[in-house]
Amino acid sequence: MHFNLSEERQMLKDTIDRFLSDHYGKIKNHHENSKLIEGFNPKIWNESSSIGMISGLISPKYKGLGGTGEDIMIIFELIGKYLCVEPFLSTGVMSSTALSSCNINVEQLMDDIISGKKIISFAHSEVESRYDDSYINVKATQKDDFWYINGTKSFVLNGDQASVLLVSARINGDTLDENGIGIFKINSKDYEIRPYNTIDGYRASEITFNNVTASLMCKDEIAYNCILETNYAAALAVSSEAIGIMQKCFDLTVDYLKTRTQFGKTIGSFQALQHRMVDLMIEIEQAKSSVMLAAGTYESEKNIKYRNVSAAKNLIGRVGKLVAEECIQLHGGIGMTWEYNLQNYAKRLIMIDHLMGDSDHHIEKFKKFSKY
Amino acid sequence: MDFNFTREENEFREEVINWLKENLPHNISEKVRSYKRLSKEDYEIFMKKLSQKGWLAINWPVEYGGTGWSTIQKHIFEEEIVKANAPRIVPFGLNMLGPVLIEYGSKKQKEFYLPRILSCEDWWAQGYSEPGSGSDLASLKTIAIDKGDHYLVNGQKTWTTLGHFANKIFCLVKTNTKCKPQEGISFLLIDIKSSGVEVKPIITLDGEHEVNEVWFTDVKVPKENLLGEENKGWTYAKYLLTHERTGIAGVPYSKSAIEHLKKISSTIYNNGIPLIKDPIFSSQIAELEIDINAMEIFNLRTVSAASEGKAPAMESSLLKIKGSIIRQKTCDLLRKAIGPMALPYISEQFDEGWNEEPIGPEYVGKIAKQYFINRKISIYGGSNEIQKNIVAKSAFKL
Repeated sequence: MHFNLSEERQMLKDTIDRFLSDHYGKIKNHHENSKLIEGFNPKIWNESSSIGMISGLISPKYKGLGGTGEDIMIIFELIGKYLCVEPFLSTGVMSSTALSSCNINVEQLMDDIISGKKIISFAHSEVESRYDDSYINVKATQKDDFWYINGTKSFVLNGDQASVLLVSARINGDTLDENGIGIFKINSKDYEIRPYNTIDGYRASEITFNNVTASLMCKDEIAYNCILETNYAAALAVSSEAIGIMQKCFDLTVDYLKTRTQFGKTIGSFQALQHRMVDLMIEIEQAKSSVMLAAGTYESEKNIKYRNVSAAKNLIGRVGKLVAEECIQLHGGIGMTWEYNLQNYAKRLIMIDHLMGDSDHHIEKFKKFSKY
Repeated sequence: MDFNFTREENEFREEVINWLKENLPHNISEKVRSYKRLSKEDYEIFMKKLSQKGWLAINWPVEYGGTGWSTIQKHIFEEEIVKANAPRIVPFGLNMLGPVLIEYGSKKQKEFYLPRILSCEDWWAQGYSEPGSGSDLASLKTIAIDKGDHYLVNGQKTWTTLGHFANKIFCLVKTNTKCKPQEGISFLLIDIKSSGVEVKPIITLDGEHEVNEVWFTDVKVPKENLLGEENKGWTYAKYLLTHERTGIAGVPYSKSAIEHLKKISSTIYNNGIPLIKDPIFSSQIAELEIDINAMEIFNLRTVSAASEGKAPAMESSLLKIKGSIIRQKTCDLLRKAIGPMALPYISEQFDEGWNEEPIGPEYVGKIAKQYFINRKISIYGGSNEIQKNIVAKSAFKL
């Protein structure tokens, strides 16, 4: 038993850390990248491909260099540390996972992801679906040899830059049925798209389909499983991202407590504040441990894998809220300003609980997979 | 990252399990399981068996009769003895005094005391806290006056766990009152049978006698019973407190408690559905289980770092704080789970040989009692608030 990284992974981690530090160190905050027309910086995305940051998220089965839970954890912790807005989540994790779960030949698309050539988005969330894996109202109908998609997906990460969309749609059955779902590929841009910024500085889109031609990737059991796999991969990714963010919030706060003086002393000398910092430290270590458990057992059988990712996502939700709120409070007024970078980390941390199932959603999942 | 134990470690675990099966007397493990009061002999029988096997002093080097185990082995061992419902290994001689003697004791002291700890001939108690000195330990008042060939000791120690079973007590005493408190403390080894020593019981809120007051009135302590140098006791005391403590989070206790909680929650009904299916209660169990699983990894990370030679001083404090909160939470949910059945309390139920029909299922009798007594976990061994001060000082350098 050990918790150290192998030499190769340590190298990958160091390389990515330097890479992101070079790019993100030069700018004021991540908004400088997300307010670009693409919603991210295409130069960073292309270069990330050449240092192996995208292929690190993809299994050797598809000519990637990683793709294990541990790889996702390492890469996304750094993504959190720098609040990196490039499409690693939408394309690197979600679409690559969805594609590899369709049980069909997807080699060309995977090549295009690894090389950074294509942005591919996974379109699943609808206005009313909240966090349900099977809640799908967007309809797919077959006429002759063609499939047509109708309806609206409300939250498609990086949807405005995607040259390919992977869309979950209902072929038959009721809105919540696990059966009767299909995953479709759309190559055209024959849909209405409304891109928007998110409160935490990322880019997503609302996409409406009116009889858009699509090709069927998989359906029924395979399709439902594909959604689960995708959401769980994304849940592990954003949980890991949250670890990087929490550490950053904590470090910013310690620095602030050491420099800010009131009543003639640094405020960090006050016991009431010290104890709250220790509480944060404990909870961050707990959250980190939970993510490590999820990452380290990600290749296990599904019940264990889902159970541990749900545990991590639940704890991340609880601890993330604590860290975000406490760090703002311990900073006082400065923590409330747009100017000071803490707010960006705090906002992303809170919003992570709104992605891929919040802590309440995952406590239910945890109970289910633990056979409560 | 690798979450698997090595083949050797798994074999070691098997060996421990098998040994416990053959050597831990069933009547004793049954008493531990059903929370019966343990006699001095119950502890001693088990510890003597461990001693014969060479497994008693897990924190001592081999040359002094220790096991020389790795931190991972110690962790496995500690986990298995809890699972087997063994009595706890009384830590005062083995894990507290032993390492201090080995580090700072004279050759003569080591040769005399260490074998007696191993053979269970001596039962040590810890004389640290005093009525006026808890968290502020250095303010202690028990005084030892130099009388040539001996010290004359006067004062009072308190919270002395199992002091009524002990024949020896190691004490922090004042040998110089004209300097900074920390610089005037010495570490004395005292025979409880000496004239002028009196052990008086303190009954805790669960009605039990585990801790004591120890009074010293003109007690003569030979000079040769001074450990190390005079006025250096504070250094030794700190060494003892920061000594490697792999089991401090109490994870095995929490794990067995949550298993028990889940088990009983499937047999207790609320509005016609088992508690384990009750949306609110089961979520509380689930959150706690998630916390325990995370804590287990946190603990293993620390254990594993220690085995690579990184001193876990700060992590020990973090583990102690969170570990105590989690253990207390398990007791809290157990108490809530059984509803009004938490109230009946028959003290005799916890005596050896009590054979009457309990009120309700056998397991309910101890639950409220355990809840109350385990409030101590966040107080003893340096309260959680003191642990936070320690961490803040070293982590933030504020």
